[in-house]
Amino acid sequence: MNAVQTFKLTKRFDGLVAVNGVDLEINKGELFSLLGPNGAGKTTTIRMLCCLLKPTRGTASVLGYDVVKTPFAVKKLIGVSPQDTILSERLNCWENLALIGKVHGLSYDEVARRSKELLETMGLMERSKDQVRKFSGGMKRRLSIAMALVSDPQVLFLDEPTLGLDPQARRTIWEYIAALKGKKTILLTTHYMEEADFLSDRIGIIDEGRVVALGTSQELKTNLFEMRSMVVTAENITAEVIADLQSKYSRLEMAKGRLKIYHKDLDFKGIVDYLHSRGVTVHSAALEQPTLEDVFIQITGKKLRD
Amino acid sequence: MKFWEIGKRNLKEIYRNPVLLGFLLGMPLAFMLVFCAAAGGGQASPIAMSIVDEDHSQTSSAFIQNLGGIEAIELNEPIYSEKSQAQEDLEDGRISLYLFIPSGFEEATQAQQAINLELAYKEADPMIGLQLKPIIEAVGSEFLGVVPPLNVELKGTESKIKNMAVNFYFPGIAIFGLMILVSTAAEIIAGDREKGFLARMFTTPARPWDFILGYSLPFIPVLIISTLIYLGVGMALGLTVVGNLGHAFLIFFLIGLCSIGIGMIVGSLVKSESQAGVSWLFIVPIAMISGAWFSVERMPSAIKSVAGALPFIHAIDASRAVLNGSSFSAIILDIYWIVGWAVVLFAVGIVLFRRTMVS
Repeated sequence: MNAVQTFKLTKRFDGLVAVNGVDLEINKGELFSLLGPNGAGKTTTIRMLCCLLKPTRGTASVLGYDVVKTPFAVKKLIGVSPQDTILSERLNCWENLALIGKVHGLSYDEVARRSKELLETMGLMERSKDQVRKFSGGMKRRLSIAMALVSDPQVLFLDEPTLGLDPQARRTIWEYIAALKGKKTILLTTHYMEEADFLSDRIGIIDEGRVVALGTSQELKTNLFEMRSMVVTAENITAEVIADLQSKYSRLEMAKGRLKIYHKDLDFKGIVDYLHSRGVTVHSAALEQPTLEDVFIQITGKKLRD
Repeated sequence: MKFWEIGKRNLKEIYRNPVLLGFLLGMPLAFMLVFCAAAGGGQASPIAMSIVDEDHSQTSSAFIQNLGGIEAIELNEPIYSEKSQAQEDLEDGRISLYLFIPSGFEEATQAQQAINLELAYKEADPMIGLQLKPIIEAVGSEFLGVVPPLNVELKGTESKIKNMAVNFYFPGIAIFGLMILVSTAAEIIAGDREKGFLARMFTTPARPWDFILGYSLPFIPVLIISTLIYLGVGMALGLTVVGNLGHAFLIFFLIGLCSIGIGMIVGSLVKSESQAGVSWLFIVPIAMISGAWFSVERMPSAIKSVAGALPFIHAIDASRAVLNGSSFSAIILDIYWIVGWAVVLFAVGIVLFRRTMVS
């Protein structure tokens, strides 16, 4: 039995199709990321799986329980950290954790034990008695994840867990999530490709409500991204040179003396020689591994942050 | 006891928010101070009232003596023996109001039959008559309860009402004050919905009634404290409690529950805190037609019917009656009506809340 399974899951809002026939199978203990730009349908998918939205069509189940027919059973098994950091602002960490834990039916002792563990793990123990409205964005996000974990759920939904955080805070959250790998089934949504790349066992790329690619990070890069790329930093690149390169290669990106060339059979030496022959001063040149962003552009024709 | 956990959270959110707490508890204090001060505090002038005594009996004289013993009433001399004379003086503006005691008053008293007294007042100033009506009814009830009538003496019960205006205004003002719980309760739910906190809680295994009870619970201490403030300030500024204070408290408590129940319904229907302000669109009109500030006696019958169907007018009438000395049995139907409304409102709140948990 899969931890999470959807079949032709669809949600329409007044004619707008937010999620369009999504089929997912997430294994127990797997960390699965839904990667896509804003408005791709990631949060709507999670909201249906958390029993907050009724699907227009299709089915979804969590550990075998249908999200529409048996929502109460589903809610007992899941923990959710929503996209916006939603906490009870005038409560402290202990009180926020106790609220969720006790509503899940945990005893006072269980809540206290779990809260202590989580506050220590998340590095919040020092400020645990302060009202959370005084916390930074990163601290709130860590508490939000702790709240999702306090009931010891079997399936964890993390909706954009690092949205709006600075790189350091983001890295800290990644470490906490990485530590949960294998212990919980996690469905994470993100529009940060590095996040999906760093954390996920498997990734589903979602765009305009459809899952357009599915696999491990490596599979996506090798199977779907046929082109190779090289980056050249150089001076004296003329418009004529750029036009010439554009006519010869599949894709070309140029910004502040940095030239990125994409092509299926990239001739590294040939390109460097050509640039030298046209009077371009080449400072460096290197072949690059494709990124998930490259995969996304290849599949959808647009950038993740568009 | 999931509702208890949700309730504890909401209580903490309220008492740790000084602005909200100040509004909830400071408002009743300010409200009652202003209205009782406006109603004359403890030093209001007595109302001059004329009497038409067509019965000319010992009983009617004793009754008139009783009325004369009330500080709030100043009896005009002489006592009219014919109604037409008093009516003429009223129409000519020589007197403000008169009480008509019909012939047969003594006989009816002895037979312990219902007696209809007529209180006539100037059209331009209906408030005087309306303020006096419950006082005279209270005196009459007390008087008619004594058999035989010759034994009637001034008992001083009626004279306990020192300021009729405060006694008249107090229930309406207090109940209007409690109606503010409608908007506050609705705003708290709507605010949590707007911030997404409710959505987060909806992912937990809590049932709709856990939320309704959990969001109502913190308002119970607020309701109790508000009612105590109303009664305390009211009594300090001239409210006279002739009847049972506990019964009055019960009425205020029950109507407070109705207000919270309406707040739950509004909170279930609106999407944002600002939308919850829509509750004022019906709080003020309902207070108006329920007699919070003036009597409903002269309102069109259609409006009176609407008001009568709602719980607030029952609470205002019942609390006025209790404060002026009526027994619990006299207001029991009003109590049933208010309790019925409270049950219905909470049930509807739970049904609506269930619908909002999945969109």
